[in-house]
Amino acid sequence: MSETPSYTVGIDVGSTTTKGVVLSTDGMIITKRIRATGSSASDAAQDVFQIMTQESGLPLLDTITISTGYGRRQVDFAEKFLTEITCHCVGIHHLNPSIRLVIDIGGQDSKVIRVNEHGKPSDFELNDKCSAGTGRFLEVMAGVLGVTIDMLGSIALESNNPSTISSTCTVFAESEVVGHIGSGESASDIAAGIHQSMASKVGTLARRVGLVSPVALTGGVALNQAFQHHLAADIGSDLWIPEHPQFTGALGAAVIAQSKL
Amino acid sequence: MADKTEKAYRALESQTHLQQVMFRYMLEGQHASEEGKLAWVTSGFPVEIPLAMGVTPSYPEQYGAVVGSQKVGPDLCGYAEELGYSQELCSYARSSIGSTHRPDNSPMEGLPTPQALLACNNICGTVLRWYDAISEMTDAPVFLLDTPPIDAEQAPHHIEYVQRGIERLVEFISTTFDTSMELEHLRSVAKNSTTAIDLWTKSLQACKNKPSPLNCADRFLTMAPVVALRGSDYIIEFYQTLYDEVKDRVEQGIGAIRDEKIRLLWDNIPPWFQIFRFFNGLAKRGVVFPADTYTHAWQGSIEGTDLYRNVAELYSNVYLNKGLDAKVEKMCQLIRDYDLDGFIMFSVRSCKRYSLGQLVSKELVTEETGVPGVIIEGDMVDSRAFNDAQIQTRVDALLEMFA
Ligand code: SF4
Repeated sequence: MSETPSYTVGIDVGSTTTKGVVLSTDGMIITKRIRATGSSASDAAQDVFQIMTQESGLPLLDTITISTGYGRRQVDFAEKFLTEITCHCVGIHHLNPSIRLVIDIGGQDSKVIRVNEHGKPSDFELNDKCSAGTGRFLEVMAGVLGVTIDMLGSIALESNNPSTISSTCTVFAESEVVGHIGSGESASDIAAGIHQSMASKVGTLARRVGLVSPVALTGGVALNQAFQHHLAADIGSDLWIPEHPQFTGALGAAVIAQSKL
Repeated sequence: MADKTEKAYRALESQTHLQQVMFRYMLEGQHASEEGKLAWVTSGFPVEIPLAMGVTPSYPEQYGAVVGSQKVGPDLCGYAEELGYSQELCSYARSSIGSTHRPDNSPMEGLPTPQALLACNNICGTVLRWYDAISEMTDAPVFLLDTPPIDAEQAPHHIEYVQRGIERLVEFISTTFDTSMELEHLRSVAKNSTTAIDLWTKSLQACKNKPSPLNCADRFLTMAPVVALRGSDYIIEFYQTLYDEVKDRVEQGIGAIRDEKIRLLWDNIPPWFQIFRFFNGLAKRGVVFPADTYTHAWQGSIEGTDLYRNVAELYSNVYLNKGLDAKVEKMCQLIRDYDLDGFIMFSVRSCKRYSLGQLVSKELVTEETGVPGVIIEGDMVDSRAFNDAQIQTRVDALLEMFA
């Protein structure tokens, strides 16, 4: 019998991006990869897997792969698939076992998960029906303001007086933003208002599950400092942010895969 | 040990009998309509009254379930939408309005034409406007039995109010159908109802056993006669057959599913268009539903000396006519009595009366019982409002909590 591999793979096929992690049995990330999911979840997963195989120089097909995320069932080389709820929970627990609530903002959905002391989910809420409160909301708004998504966060940080954006719906919020531009409000105030409005939507989802500290923020949007600031203010709690917040789900999948070795 | 080559789900033998009973219901409805003696009634209507007076009932909600099961919900709902009805309107109402508007394109050419429409708002307020719409299309008059919602105990003046309604109902049926009420007849119809409901309740309670002899889809299908034919004598035999089969399964330790691992509670109406796919899919993963809030709603019996008062009390106290506390209590009780590991609440877009408050009750039920639950969103008939992938993620996440 061949030797048990000293690493596992986690693949998180999200609606916007696909992430992969190769994790060593001593808990270190050997390599990781992210790319746009595009029109084929299975192609994206395959591609991430191949690149990680090259980069790590390891025969990844010889070990256990667990897939997660919206496209988890499309990953035919995975041993098993699990929901992003479980994987985010396990991923965050691996990084910081004190965390009791995870707020994850994906490209097209957002979720809030209560983590118990064993690192398992005990309750959760998902918003996957409406783009407000997801990365998509910020993308649309950046488009309206004519700035890149990265700039949207940095100009928002310059504001002391965020514009009011009361609509929770992306489409209505868009016309509100257009109205604010028309009435001469500064781009930085509008950008701050956009983040504040999104934070309030996500905060509501979090309150539905119940706010328990410490709270972690994951997903691509977690890197946006303006959003961090407004969300922390909305929920009245500091946020713990992993070094690579987009990879939390893939990491969790790889951690679970280790128990199958 | 269970034989792995066996199907994950075991079909009931009584199903053949069920089909015969429901076929008879259909024929009797057609016949009554031709004779000018058919009334459409809502599912929570005190149907014993019209039955005792020689009027045959037909159930549009049950028809809605048929429309859903035949996967033509979007078509029929669409016909109602063409007339200007909103997609927000209950899909049972839309199916019924749609099929009345275009019977040629509807299963069984729609329900037979009614001579009266009997609505009771103990299930929701939608039924009144819905029956008004059908009245405009068919010229059949509408009778509303008003049963104000109950928050805690039912006050005496409240019972009296509903009792007056029952008296008015008797007058309405007498004049509309040129008939009269014989209390003795009502007593014998009520007795049939009670006997059938008793047998039904025993079958439900047998699901406390492990493995559970019935799964959700079994109960949703076999409840049809107790909804649509309460009061008729010939359904008693069916419920006896069903109970015998259930008893047999319990005695032999045979479950509704091959390999029972997780026991869950189901809340609300099922997605009729994928009732087998949904529940059998979960059965393959060892998930059984020994109880649900919906099929447990047909309980209680009409008895005593003051029959009308008793009818008034019984039909005011139905599940949907009570406050959130009563719903939470019922769910907690089912979880405890049936030793369940968790629950799935179906938030049905059509049915605001059933679904409103689920977010709060989910939290309360978990707090009270310590078991986790999940809310999935969709509709019972209109499959356009049902997103498989989103539902799958929620259900999978719940099941992973038990791993
Ligand atoms: S709204 Fe709900 S209770 Fe009312 S008829 Fe529709 S499904 Fe039944």
